[in-house]
Amino acid sequence: MKITEGMKVIETGWVKKPKGFRVKFQQFQDGELVTAYSPPEDATALDSDVTAWRYAWKLAQATRPDADTLAQGHLVNLTVVDDQDSPVISYITGETEIFNPHS
Amino acid sequence: MDPQMNKLQRLGYAMQHHGLDMLYGLIILIVGLMITKWLLKLIRNLLDKLLTNATLVSVIANCIGVFLMGLVITASAMQIGLPPGPLITLMMIVVLTGVGIIVIFRPLVPTLPFKVGNVVRAGNLLGKIEATTALNTRLRTFDGKTFFVPNRQVLGDVVVNYHYTKTRRVKIDIAIRYDQDMIKAKRVLEALMIEDARVLNKPSPQVYVMALGPNGIHLGGRCWVNNNKFWVTRCDLLEKTKLRFDREGLAFAYHQLDVNHHYPVQAVEPEEIWEGDAQ
Repeated sequence: MKITEGMKVIETGWVKKPKGFRVKFQQFQDGELVTAYSPPEDATALDSDVTAWRYAWKLAQATRPDADTLAQGHLVNLTVVDDQDSPVISYITGETEIFNPHS
Repeated sequence: MDPQMNKLQRLGYAMQHHGLDMLYGLIILIVGLMITKWLLKLIRNLLDKLLTNATLVSVIANCIGVFLMGLVITASAMQIGLPPGPLITLMMIVVLTGVGIIVIFRPLVPTLPFKVGNVVRAGNLLGKIEATTALNTRLRTFDGKTFFVPNRQVLGDVVVNYHYTKTRRVKIDIAIRYDQDMIKAKRVLEALMIEDARVLNKPSPQVYVMALGPNGIHLGGRCWVNNNKFWVTRCDLLEKTKLRFDREGLAFAYHQLDVNHHYPVQAVEPEEIWEGDAQ
């Protein structure tokens, strides 16, 4: 195996490199939770997981429900996903994280 | 007759017969130039919205400006009574000569080593180029100050243009304590850089042992990113490095000072030892 071939194997097989990040959340609209993304799927994704996690946290802080009952527009189950819609491990905790969890 | 009187008489005759035309010509010239200036401002604003390239906007606006000014001057001269044919020919000669001189001598004219929008370091100033004129360069530093730097000063100083190349290297220099797992630290740092979406695959990220310093092992992470993402990527990588190292149980080195006290050792006589044993 040539060095270049070996490098290609490392690039494709060793560490996963996501192409972009989005905040995935559920919004309480008209009595039900609707799943959505920010930025939307047809827009350019964020290129930084740090920015995406910070954005998710700010969204969570801004829309945190005061009580167990949800009001119109509340955002719950906020997390960061990659371009494949897979949950991204938080660089802060080393685990998948969900803000404003709601079952 | 006195030649001076003769001249005055001829001037009086000219004013009597063509004075009104000359006045109208002057009015056309002044009003025309004012309208041209207003129109140019309008066109420049419109082009700014349509085009993103500031240089192209400037070139198009200047060309339209030259054309409009030529029209105004021609109209004014025709009002005075000058024939339009030779006037247009003269203006064409002037314009073509000007263009020719610019084309021929342009390679010899010193040009600024940056364009509008580039981030540069010129002398002690680091900032973004907002505009350049024949005399000075307008540079906005990142703390919001605007500097007007004379071009001769820019040309005579060392200029670092951070946009001249498309990519730029990010340095992540850290130090770990001597009792830490160095190989693990290297692997973690390299994985951090490879994982980042903005870090380029080629040249591939590398981690070097830079020095065995007085306080710890100095590791140098090196990776390449696109120029416009340099700063944020560097800050993000530093943040992630700190948090990941904490999670992996890798301790950073810090400046420390060992203080050793040396007390003079008093000689002990053998009898004193025997006496001590007896007690």
